[in-house]
Amino acid sequence: MLTKSAAKTFFLGGTALCSIAFVLLTMDTLAQFPDRSNQENMTPAVVRGNHIWTKNNCMGCHTLMGEGAYYAPELTKVMDRRSPEWIAEFLKDPERMYPGRRKMVKYDMFDPAEVGAEEAKKNVDDIVAFFTWVGEIDLNGFPAEPDLAQAPRAQAVDVAPSSNLAKAPVYFSTVCIGCHSVGGQGGQVGPALDGVASRLDAEFMRKWISDPQSVKADTTMPDLGLEGDDLEAILDYLATLKE
Amino acid sequence: MQYKSQKIAWYFFAACMGLFGLQLIYGFILGFDRMGYDVLHDWIPFNTARATHTNLLVVWMLTGFMGAAYYIIPQESGRELWSTRLAWIQYYSLLLVGVVAVVGYHFNIWEGRKFLEIPRPLDYLVVVNVLAFLLNLFMTIWKGKNKSTTAMVLFFGLLMAALLYLPGMYTFDNIVHDSYFRWWVVHLWVEGVWELIMGAILSFLLIKLTGVDREIIEKWLYIIVGFTFLSGILGTGHHYYYTGAPGYWLMVGGIFSALEPLAFLGMALYAIAMARRGGRNHPNKLALMWTIGCAVMSFVGAGFLGFAHTLPQVNIWTHGTLVTAMHGHMAFWGAYAMLILAMITYVLPEMTGRKLFKGWVPEWAFWLSNIGMIAMTGAFAVMGVAQVYMERKSGMDFLEVQESLEVHAFGLVLAASLFTLGIVLFIRNFCAYGRPNDEVLEA
Ligand code: HEC
Ligand code: HEC
Ligand code: HEM
Ligand code: HEM
Ligand SMILES: [Fe+2]
Repeated sequence: MLTKSAAKTFFLGGTALCSIAFVLLTMDTLAQFPDRSNQENMTPAVVRGNHIWTKNNCMGCHTLMGEGAYYAPELTKVMDRRSPEWIAEFLKDPERMYPGRRKMVKYDMFDPAEVGAEEAKKNVDDIVAFFTWVGEIDLNGFPAEPDLAQAPRAQAVDVAPSSNLAKAPVYFSTVCIGCHSVGGQGGQVGPALDGVASRLDAEFMRKWISDPQSVKADTTMPDLGLEGDDLEAILDYLATLKE
Repeated sequence: MQYKSQKIAWYFFAACMGLFGLQLIYGFILGFDRMGYDVLHDWIPFNTARATHTNLLVVWMLTGFMGAAYYIIPQESGRELWSTRLAWIQYYSLLLVGVVAVVGYHFNIWEGRKFLEIPRPLDYLVVVNVLAFLLNLFMTIWKGKNKSTTAMVLFFGLLMAALLYLPGMYTFDNIVHDSYFRWWVVHLWVEGVWELIMGAILSFLLIKLTGVDREIIEKWLYIIVGFTFLSGILGTGHHYYYTGAPGYWLMVGGIFSALEPLAFLGMALYAIAMARRGGRNHPNKLALMWTIGCAVMSFVGAGFLGFAHTLPQVNIWTHGTLVTAMHGHMAFWGAYAMLILAMITYVLPEMTGRKLFKGWVPEWAFWLSNIGMIAMTGAFAVMGVAQVYMERKSGMDFLEVQESLEVHAFGLVLAASLFTLGIVLFIRNFCAYGRPNDEVLEA
């Protein structure tokens, strides 16, 4: 039968061997990181974005590369489904975009009304640069494509120059399109807007878009605070969407 | 209890009880958030509640390990603690650091890396604190009459835990790099050196409670911790599959982490075998119940449920979902929470001289908490598996899936209430014992 000192040798020997193997593998792994993570693309904006991410513990709700908390969407590939403009609009006030749903913290640093347009834009650009860089890291295939896929997934829209969407104001083709589709392109949260001008009259649309809750208190369409030229441009565009 | 200075352990355990209670309150905040009742969002958003929940967990566990060490090391070394004063300083400063860190989380002051949220300046204080703790133990062992294997393994485990805290203090601008070393702390703690601490405390308890010969128990201790390191060190690879590390980790991590449950299985069989073999009829049956319970539940939570998602083919779907939360709860509960509660159940009569070995309060504490935790694990499992199928495999929208799981979050909160009732009874029992006193010192 095994003696105590033999058992001790087994413990010390096994530990030593495995530790050595682990250190060697670590050295090789570290040497591969710059390449696998495209370190050459790690601009100062990416690094600042990383600091925004960690300083505010976004990982306490979200996962990134599958690490973090399970309360909010996995963000590794967020740039595949959201445009930078959508993210800017969303981060301004997350609750406005998803009224009545699970809450994200509103960070003043992204809100032009709090820190000024320039500062807010810089912060959004940084976090977007960070997400873009993360999306390109070689993660051995994570996240996997859904293999039972039925539901269409949200995707940032690549506007084909010939499509009807090409004529839309940028705000429309980046933000509204996150929830609405035109010509089969766009999100599924709200109704498709093809032919909307035949269904709704212009005055109603003006009221609806500038303040949806005043028309229908419990609607989940966000009040995006549109006014002035932006609003007019969108209304002009919607008026062209006839059956 | 043989030495006056061992009494300090009681204060560490009392702090444990308080921090544990607070951890559960934050657990409920998380549970209600998940049910859709996030009324506290403006003051305590989810990330604050979560960081507080998990950090309080880690702090109360470290406090518990320290209490256990302050009891075990003098006993095993055959002398008083080297410096009681240092132990007191260490006690208050540890609690202060813990409380300051947790308060900071409520004001968006943290480092934003899961489990290692403590901001840098406080990290340094933790290091100084732990150095003081280790120095105290080291001097006690050094000057002691005997250097038992149990004491050495415990000390070595605590020392390694302290050393492995250091890689977590580095931050890198490249998150791939950052995450690589974060696991040196998180994984190599719970699936490496903490298991050493666990093995040593279990051995101590089994020696005391079963009366089996020390030589036999300690021999098996070496074999089990040998298996722990053999599988656990390279098993770190199960966190490197999909976080930017090279592809060979799928193979290395997959094979070695699949062996990790063996160490937990070994621990469970060993505890049961020693308890059956033991001739001694120790009156503290409850302590034995917690000891065996710890060994068994750690196999279920860490070994079995860990194995369930450790192969890369499975992990690609479950990585970063509520399946992980399911495993995390039962593993921490079985391996480390129950271990500390076992130790407390053993030392209370020894320290206070009151022999409250029977009674419904401590018995119900055991059963309610365990049944509650099993039910909580079930609720997390349902949510986790549903999330994997709906969101990951079928591509449904994240929020839609989460909203459809709110009803199971209600189940989670119900189960958690049962669990919490058990813990409240445990704390009540703790209070019933009162403070330690010198009259019980054995000659
Ligand atoms: C309190 C939890 C919480 C915190 C903290 C948090 N988020 Fe979120 N986030 C959410 C939730 C929930 C959603 C889902 C949309 C919603 O309900 O608002 C979300 C959505 C997002 C989205 C859109 C994702 C998509 O796929 O549409 C982005 C981008 C985002 N968050 C970025 C961040 C950043 C950057 C931080 C840190 C500065 C952060 N979040 C911190 C909860 C949080
Ligand atoms: C966060 C998702 C979201 C965004 C962003 C969004 N909408 Fe909507 N929208 C909805 C939803 C949901 C409805 C259906 C509301 C209801 O019936 O309560 C809706 C309804 C509408 C309607 C009425 C459609 C009909 O057929 O009845 C119009 C017009 C509209 N939105 C225009 C816009 C415009 C223009 C924008 C960009 C400025 C925009 N929406 C941005 C979610 C969104
Ligand atoms: C007592 C021992 C253990 C404890 C306390 C524990 C706890 C945890 C925790 C808290 C996490 C989440 C970590 C994070 O995301 O930051 C985790 C992840 C994980 N654990 Fe364990 N664990 C233990 C043992 C094991 C064992 C023995 C195995 C394998 C057989 C295992 C397999 C895993 C895997 C694969 C993950 C990653 C999940 C993911 O990809 O999201 N664990 N564990
Ligand atoms: C009142 C009882 C409890 C409730 C309601 C509860 C609930 C929760 C919730 C909702 C989360 C967050 C999961 C997410 O990111 O969405 C969480 C995280 C966590 N809790 Fe608890 N918890 C409770 C008790 C405990 C106990 C007793 C332990 C330890 C023994 C524990 C250990 C953990 C750990 C380790 C995590 C992080 C898990 C991970 O990252 O995978 N909790 N808890
Ligand atoms: Fe691990």
